[in-house]
Amino acid sequence: MNKSAVGLLAAVMLVAPEEARQIVEEAQRRSRAASERYEGILEVTDARGRVNAKRWVYHRLGSHGDSKAVIRFVAPPEVKGVALLIINHPDRASDQWMWTPATQRERRIALQDRSTRFFGTDFSFEDLEERDVNQYDYRMLGEEAVEGAPCWKIESRPKQTRASQYTRSVLWIRKENYTFARIENYVREELVRRAAYREVHNVQGIWTPRLIEMHDLRRNSRTLLKLEKLQYNLAMKDSDFTLQALRREF
Amino acid sequence: MRAPLALVTVALLARAQDFSQRGFLETRLTVFPQVAPNDRGRALAAALLRYEASYKISGGWRLAGGLDARTDTHHEVERRWALGWQDRERQRPALSLRRASLLYSRAPLTLEIGKQFIRWGKADILNPTDRFAPRDFLAVVDNDFLAVTAARLALGTQSNTLELVFAPRLTPSRIPLLNQRWAPLPQGLEIREAAPRLPGGPQFGARWNRVGAGFEYSLSFYEGHNHLPLFEALQLSLGPPIRVEARRYYPKLRMYGGDAAIPLGWLTLKGEAAWLRSPASEADEYLLYVVQLERQAGEWFLVGGYAGQTVTREHAALGFAPDRGLARAFLGRAGYTIDANRSLALEAAARQDGKGLWLKLEYSEAFGQHWRATAGFTLIRGKSEDFLGQYRRNSHLGLALRYSF
Repeated sequence: MNKSAVGLLAAVMLVAPEEARQIVEEAQRRSRAASERYEGILEVTDARGRVNAKRWVYHRLGSHGDSKAVIRFVAPPEVKGVALLIINHPDRASDQWMWTPATQRERRIALQDRSTRFFGTDFSFEDLEERDVNQYDYRMLGEEAVEGAPCWKIESRPKQTRASQYTRSVLWIRKENYTFARIENYVREELVRRAAYREVHNVQGIWTPRLIEMHDLRRNSRTLLKLEKLQYNLAMKDSDFTLQALRREF
Repeated sequence: MRAPLALVTVALLARAQDFSQRGFLETRLTVFPQVAPNDRGRALAAALLRYEASYKISGGWRLAGGLDARTDTHHEVERRWALGWQDRERQRPALSLRRASLLYSRAPLTLEIGKQFIRWGKADILNPTDRFAPRDFLAVVDNDFLAVTAARLALGTQSNTLELVFAPRLTPSRIPLLNQRWAPLPQGLEIREAAPRLPGGPQFGARWNRVGAGFEYSLSFYEGHNHLPLFEALQLSLGPPIRVEARRYYPKLRMYGGDAAIPLGWLTLKGEAAWLRSPASEADEYLLYVVQLERQAGEWFLVGGYAGQTVTREHAALGFAPDRGLARAFLGRAGYTIDANRSLALEAAARQDGKGLWLKLEYSEAFGQHWRATAGFTLIRGKSEDFLGQYRRNSHLGLALRYSF
């Protein structure tokens, strides 16, 4: 390696963290919406190939680290009404409560329990929260195409190590529209979950992947989440994102 | 069955997004390896059809209702088909109004009036502060909550909520039938049950809940009657056999309570305590508390704790008190999710002096979108003088098949 190559590498290492952060910030800025609603169709395929279908309705008010969301199952019938309230914070991990109609009680999901799978899907409770760009440190790993789309490859590490189950994540962000193409989550050096984001559509000016595949590599189980009837910037009330609201909905 | 059909019709007429419904049909078989002195039956079959619906009217108003229709082979369920709505019947009504309430919400206020479920407390298995939650204890260890007729007003934001409850009348817990195995009477004693003395006065409760960053706690107060009865003897005839005419009554009760949930790195610490006082001279006064640790990891859900009791005023009145019956015991619950369709659950209570044990193991599997089968075994052991131990002949196998819709 000659001197100029060493100099270039040093320069890349100096500017890369800032550039990586700017890319994620831009991705966050472009996906910002006052609110979001969609109907999620989930297909969970376990290691033995058995398929389990679920449906939920997702409502979110606010955006990125300053948002509140409610996920409520509508099918299958035996989980109908089970709901998750997520209050995202800009400076720390979210608060989460799960409501179970059968017991008529909500249960707070403690931070240490967020690695658990959410109601039989391959999403963990942590995967469902929405974190602000400022909660992570970033490092540019280079460029790589995902399913033919040129992407930036960026590593993110949570600033507060105890706030996440993942030691680090590797993000692929499409250059064309700043949407996520893939996220790989690691616990120490082990790749534990891989999310693939496909079928990117422009919905009300926001490029949005309409199909998310979450692969739990430890269980070799996959969940396909299809976003239907997706709408942004609907009128929503703050009071519909509280524990009281969680209880009163059916 | 006219009422459920009417609700289904309403469902079809209502706009889909404003109307929501769910329900299930469950058949259950319970097999007891041992007979009991007052109950020679070894097998019990039961069926329950539950239908619940909710309709969002407009402007923050919502109507919610639910109906239960049941039958069984063991006469725990009434044989007449009149609609029961009070939950004061001795047996389970064949057709009953499970809930019926009108809810109004406009931030920061939520008001619900009617027959509804009100749950207080944060602990599992035993909740000393859960005073508006009477239960159907016909089969003591397999119980179900009963709704209360009340007005509930919740005021506040996410971080601070004040809940005020006014129930114009008491909904008592349903206790075991005297001629059945869950009422283990001493041999040589015959009890005739007289009409109960049900209180007419209102119940009032208040609970303030505080949600902080990563923790939450609440303080609660209840003034009313205990939904669990004491017994008074009206007539005594020395036998043999000894014959007693007894009557249930529900003493006044005042509760000062609190509960908290605090995450501690690896585990969540939950605590709940209630000091229960009574102006009735024959009722005990006591502190009931639960301390438990909880952890959810991978496919496991684990809860372990201790329920304690400190009696501050003791009387010899005979009563039925499953909440106190679980005190001075180690409590545990474990759940394991095998895969998306299958799960295992274990619940246990072991008396600290070793005189009573209750252990329930359940395996459950879903088939497709609608069907679920559950098989379980409940083991009960102990001494006859112990609350759990007195049911030692009631260990049982259970099989349930549920169709959800």
